[in-house]
Amino acid sequence: MSQTQVRPDRPPYPGTPRWVKVFGIIGIVLVLVVVIIMFTGVGGKHGPDRHIPSGAPSGHTPPIENGVQQP
Amino acid sequence: MSMTPGLRKFVLTAHVISSVGWLGAVVAYLALAVAALTSADAQMVRAAWIAMELTGWFVIVPLALASLLIGVVNALGTPWGLFRHYWVLVKFLLTVFATIILLLHMPTVSYFAGVAARTDSANVFGLRGELIHAGGGLLVLLVTATLSVYKPRGMTPYGWRKEHEQRKASPSNSP
Repeated sequence: MSQTQVRPDRPPYPGTPRWVKVFGIIGIVLVLVVVIIMFTGVGGKHGPDRHIPSGAPSGHTPPIENGVQQP
Repeated sequence: MSMTPGLRKFVLTAHVISSVGWLGAVVAYLALAVAALTSADAQMVRAAWIAMELTGWFVIVPLALASLLIGVVNALGTPWGLFRHYWVLVKFLLTVFATIILLLHMPTVSYFAGVAARTDSANVFGLRGELIHAGGGLLVLLVTATLSVYKPRGMTPYGWRKEHEQRKASPSNSP
Protein backbone atom coordinates (compact mmCIF):
# COMPACT_ATOMS: atom_id res chain seq x y z
CA MET A 1 0.00 0.00 0.00
CA SER A 2 1.53 3.30 -1.06
CA GLN A 3 1.45 6.43 1.04
CA THR A 4 1.77 10.00 -0.18
CA GLN A 5 5.00 11.55 1.09
CA VAL A 6 4.40 14.83 2.87
CA ARG A 7 7.36 17.22 3.03
CA PRO A 8 6.44 20.21 5.19
CA ASP A 9 9.87 21.79 4.48
CA ARG A 10 9.23 21.92 0.72
CA PRO A 11 6.41 23.84 -1.06
CA PRO A 12 4.16 21.66 -3.21
CA TYR A 13 5.13 21.16 -6.86
CA PRO A 14 3.16 23.76 -8.90
CA GLY A 15 2.47 21.31 -11.73
CA THR A 16 3.42 21.04 -15.38
CA PRO A 17 3.15 24.37 -17.28
CA ARG A 18 0.50 24.70 -19.95
CA TRP A 19 3.04 25.24 -22.75
CA VAL A 20 4.66 21.88 -21.96
CA LYS A 21 1.26 20.15 -22.18
CA VAL A 22 0.57 21.86 -25.54
CA PHE A 23 4.01 20.82 -26.83
CA GLY A 24 3.40 17.26 -25.63
CA ILE A 25 0.01 17.01 -27.35
CA ILE A 26 1.39 18.42 -30.62
CA GLY A 27 4.38 16.06 -30.44
CA ILE A 28 2.23 12.98 -29.81
CA VAL A 29 -0.14 13.92 -32.67
CA LEU A 30 2.78 14.47 -35.08
CA VAL A 31 4.46 11.19 -34.11
CA LEU A 32 1.14 9.32 -34.55
CA VAL A 33 0.58 10.90 -37.98
CA VAL A 34 4.10 9.91 -39.09
CA VAL A 35 3.70 6.35 -37.73
CA ILE A 36 0.29 5.98 -39.45
CA ILE A 37 1.69 7.31 -42.76
CA MET A 38 4.71 4.99 -42.57
CA PHE A 39 2.98 1.78 -41.51
CA THR A 40 -0.36 2.00 -43.31
CA GLY A 41 1.24 2.67 -46.68
CA VAL A 42 -0.72 5.91 -47.12
CA GLY A 43 2.48 7.72 -48.03
CA GLY A 44 4.00 4.73 -49.83
CA LYS A 45 7.19 2.96 -48.82
CA HIS A 46 9.82 4.95 -46.97
CA GLY A 47 13.41 5.37 -48.16
CA PRO A 48 14.93 5.04 -51.63
CA ASP A 49 13.01 1.82 -52.38
CA ARG A 50 9.79 3.84 -52.80
CA HIS A 51 11.23 5.28 -56.02
CA ILE A 52 12.28 1.94 -57.49
CA PRO A 53 9.89 -0.13 -59.62
CA SER A 54 8.85 -3.28 -57.74
CA GLY A 55 9.82 -5.71 -60.51
CA ALA A 56 13.35 -4.39 -60.91
CA PRO A 57 16.33 -6.24 -59.47
CA SER A 58 17.81 -4.61 -56.39
CA GLY A 59 20.89 -2.46 -56.91
CA HIS A 60 20.64 -2.43 -60.70
CA THR A 61 17.61 -0.27 -61.16
CA PRO A 62 17.94 2.58 -63.61
CA PRO A 63 16.94 5.93 -62.12
CA ILE A 64 13.61 7.41 -63.00
CA GLU A 65 13.95 9.79 -65.89
CA ASN A 66 13.36 13.40 -65.11
CA GLY A 67 11.77 14.00 -68.45
CA VAL A 68 13.99 17.00 -69.06
CA GLN A 69 16.34 17.69 -71.92
CA GLN A 70 19.92 16.55 -71.66
CA PRO A 71 22.57 18.98 -72.87
CA MET B 1 29.28 19.82 -11.65
CA SER B 2 29.77 23.45 -12.58
CA MET B 3 32.10 25.14 -15.06
CA THR B 4 34.15 28.26 -14.50
CA PRO B 5 32.62 31.45 -15.98
CA GLY B 6 35.22 31.55 -18.77
CA LEU B 7 34.70 27.92 -19.78
CA ARG B 8 30.95 28.39 -19.51
CA LYS B 9 31.02 31.28 -21.98
CA PHE B 10 33.27 29.34 -24.36
CA VAL B 11 30.97 26.29 -24.33
CA LEU B 12 27.88 28.47 -24.74
CA THR B 13 29.49 30.26 -27.71
CA ALA B 14 30.38 26.91 -29.32
CA HIS B 15 26.80 25.69 -28.75
CA VAL B 16 25.27 28.81 -30.33
CA ILE B 17 27.65 28.66 -33.31
CA SER B 18 26.99 24.95 -33.97
CA SER B 19 23.21 25.30 -33.56
CA VAL B 20 22.89 28.41 -35.73
CA GLY B 21 25.27 26.84 -38.26
CA TRP B 22 23.06 23.74 -38.37
CA LEU B 23 19.98 25.91 -38.97
CA GLY B 24 21.73 27.85 -41.74
CA ALA B 25 22.99 24.68 -43.39
CA VAL B 26 19.45 23.26 -43.44
CA VAL B 27 18.22 26.45 -45.12
CA ALA B 28 20.96 26.07 -47.77
CA TYR B 29 19.95 22.40 -48.20
CA LEU B 30 16.32 23.43 -48.67
CA ALA B 31 17.39 26.01 -51.26
CA LEU B 32 19.14 23.24 -53.24
CA ALA B 33 16.08 20.97 -53.03
CA VAL B 34 13.70 23.75 -54.12
CA ALA B 35 16.01 24.83 -56.94
CA ALA B 36 16.23 21.25 -58.22
CA LEU B 37 12.51 20.62 -57.87
CA THR B 38 11.61 23.73 -59.84
CA SER B 39 14.31 23.29 -62.48
CA ALA B 40 13.76 21.85 -65.96
CA ASP B 41 17.46 21.08 -66.33
CA ALA B 42 18.56 17.49 -65.59
CA GLN B 43 22.13 18.64 -64.91
CA MET B 44 20.81 21.01 -62.28
CA VAL B 45 18.89 18.20 -60.57
CA ARG B 46 21.94 15.90 -60.62
CA ALA B 47 24.21 18.64 -59.30
CA ALA B 48 21.71 19.41 -56.54
CA TRP B 49 21.60 15.77 -55.36
CA ILE B 50 25.39 15.62 -55.22
CA ALA B 51 25.60 18.98 -53.42
CA MET B 52 22.88 17.93 -50.98
CA GLU B 53 24.78 14.76 -50.10
CA LEU B 54 28.01 16.69 -49.51
CA THR B 55 26.21 19.36 -47.48
CA GLY B 56 24.40 16.70 -45.49
CA TRP B 57 27.35 14.49 -44.54
CA PHE B 58 30.06 17.16 -44.24
CA VAL B 59 28.15 20.14 -42.84
CA ILE B 60 24.73 19.25 -41.41
CA VAL B 61 25.61 15.95 -39.68
CA PRO B 62 28.79 17.28 -37.95
CA LEU B 63 26.99 20.46 -36.86
CA ALA B 64 24.03 18.46 -35.55
CA LEU B 65 26.27 16.14 -33.51
CA ALA B 66 28.33 19.08 -32.26
CA SER B 67 25.20 21.02 -31.30
CA LEU B 68 23.80 18.01 -29.41
CA LEU B 69 27.02 17.11 -27.57
CA ILE B 70 28.01 20.69 -26.72
CA GLY B 71 24.43 21.42 -25.66
CA VAL B 72 24.51 18.51 -23.20
CA VAL B 73 27.89 19.66 -21.81
CA ASN B 74 26.57 23.23 -21.57
CA ALA B 75 23.43 22.13 -19.71
CA LEU B 76 25.21 19.80 -17.29
CA GLY B 77 27.94 22.35 -16.58
CA THR B 78 25.55 25.12 -15.53
CA PRO B 79 22.84 25.47 -12.88
CA TRP B 80 20.23 25.03 -15.64
CA GLY B 81 20.90 21.28 -15.77
CA LEU B 82 19.60 18.94 -18.45
CA PHE B 83 16.47 17.64 -16.70
CA ARG B 84 15.61 20.49 -14.34
CA HIS B 85 13.82 22.96 -16.62
CA TYR B 86 11.21 21.96 -19.16
CA TRP B 87 12.58 24.27 -21.88
CA VAL B 88 16.01 22.62 -21.67
CA LEU B 89 14.49 19.12 -21.62
CA VAL B 90 12.18 19.86 -24.59
CA LYS B 91 15.13 21.33 -26.53
CA PHE B 92 17.22 18.25 -25.75
CA LEU B 93 14.47 15.82 -26.85
CA LEU B 94 13.79 17.77 -30.07
CA THR B 95 17.51 17.88 -30.90
CA VAL B 96 17.92 14.13 -30.28
CA PHE B 97 14.85 13.45 -32.44
CA ALA B 98 16.09 15.69 -35.29
CA THR B 99 19.58 14.12 -35.16
CA ILE B 100 18.20 10.56 -35.28
CA ILE B 101 15.93 11.38 -38.24
CA LEU B 102 18.88 13.08 -39.98
CA LEU B 103 21.17 10.08 -39.52
CA LEU B 104 18.44 7.66 -40.66
CA HIS B 105 17.65 9.78 -43.73
CA MET B 106 21.15 10.52 -45.01
CA PRO B 107 21.66 7.05 -46.62
CA THR B 108 18.62 7.81 -48.83
CA VAL B 109 20.26 11.07 -49.93
CA SER B 110 23.50 9.18 -50.63
CA TYR B 111 21.57 6.69 -52.76
CA PHE B 112 20.06 9.41 -54.97
CA ALA B 113 23.37 11.31 -55.11
CA GLY B 114 25.07 8.08 -56.22
CA VAL B 115 22.50 7.58 -58.96
CA ALA B 116 22.91 11.20 -60.07
CA ALA B 117 26.70 10.83 -60.18
CA ARG B 118 26.68 7.52 -62.10
CA THR B 119 24.01 8.20 -64.71
CA ASP B 120 22.86 10.91 -67.08
CA SER B 121 19.30 11.07 -65.82
CA ALA B 122 18.01 12.68 -62.68
CA ASN B 123 15.38 11.81 -60.12
CA VAL B 124 13.03 14.59 -59.07
CA PHE B 125 10.64 12.36 -57.12
CA GLY B 126 12.93 11.96 -54.13
CA LEU B 127 13.21 15.73 -53.87
CA ARG B 128 9.69 15.98 -52.41
CA GLY B 129 10.88 13.79 -49.56
CA GLU B 130 13.82 16.14 -49.12
CA LEU B 131 11.46 19.10 -48.81
CA ILE B 132 9.47 17.28 -46.11
CA HIS B 133 12.53 16.11 -44.16
CA ALA B 134 14.48 19.37 -44.42
CA GLY B 135 11.35 21.48 -43.84
CA GLY B 136 10.49 19.47 -40.73
CA GLY B 137 14.08 19.76 -39.53
CA LEU B 138 14.03 23.51 -40.05
CA LEU B 139 10.79 23.78 -38.06
CA VAL B 140 12.30 21.80 -35.17
CA LEU B 141 15.43 23.99 -35.19
CA LEU B 142 13.34 27.18 -35.21
CA VAL B 143 11.43 25.88 -32.18
CA THR B 144 14.64 25.03 -30.29
CA ALA B 145 16.14 28.44 -31.14
CA THR B 146 12.98 30.16 -29.91
CA LEU B 147 13.00 28.12 -26.67
CA SER B 148 16.64 29.13 -26.11
CA VAL B 149 15.80 32.82 -26.33
CA TYR B 150 12.46 32.90 -24.47
CA LYS B 151 13.33 30.24 -21.85
CA PRO B 152 9.70 29.69 -20.82
CA ARG B 153 9.18 29.07 -17.10
CA GLY B 154 8.54 25.67 -15.65
CA MET B 155 10.57 23.19 -13.63
CA THR B 156 10.35 19.45 -13.82
CA PRO B 157 9.49 17.58 -10.58
CA TYR B 158 13.16 16.52 -10.47
CA GLY B 159 14.31 20.14 -10.91
CA TRP B 160 11.86 21.33 -8.26
CA ARG B 161 13.18 18.78 -5.75
CA LYS B 162 16.83 19.61 -6.51
CA GLU B 163 16.19 23.34 -6.31
CA HIS B 164 14.76 23.07 -2.80
CA GLU B 165 17.44 20.64 -1.66
CA GLN B 166 20.07 23.17 -2.75
CA ARG B 167 18.22 26.08 -1.16
CA LYS B 168 18.03 24.13 2.07
CA ALA B 169 21.75 23.34 1.91
CA SER B 170 22.79 26.92 1.07
CA PRO B 171 19.92 29.44 1.31
CA SER B 172 21.92 32.33 -0.13
CA ASN B 173 23.21 30.41 -3.17
CA SER B 174 20.28 29.72 -5.47
CA PRO B 175 20.89 29.53 -9.28
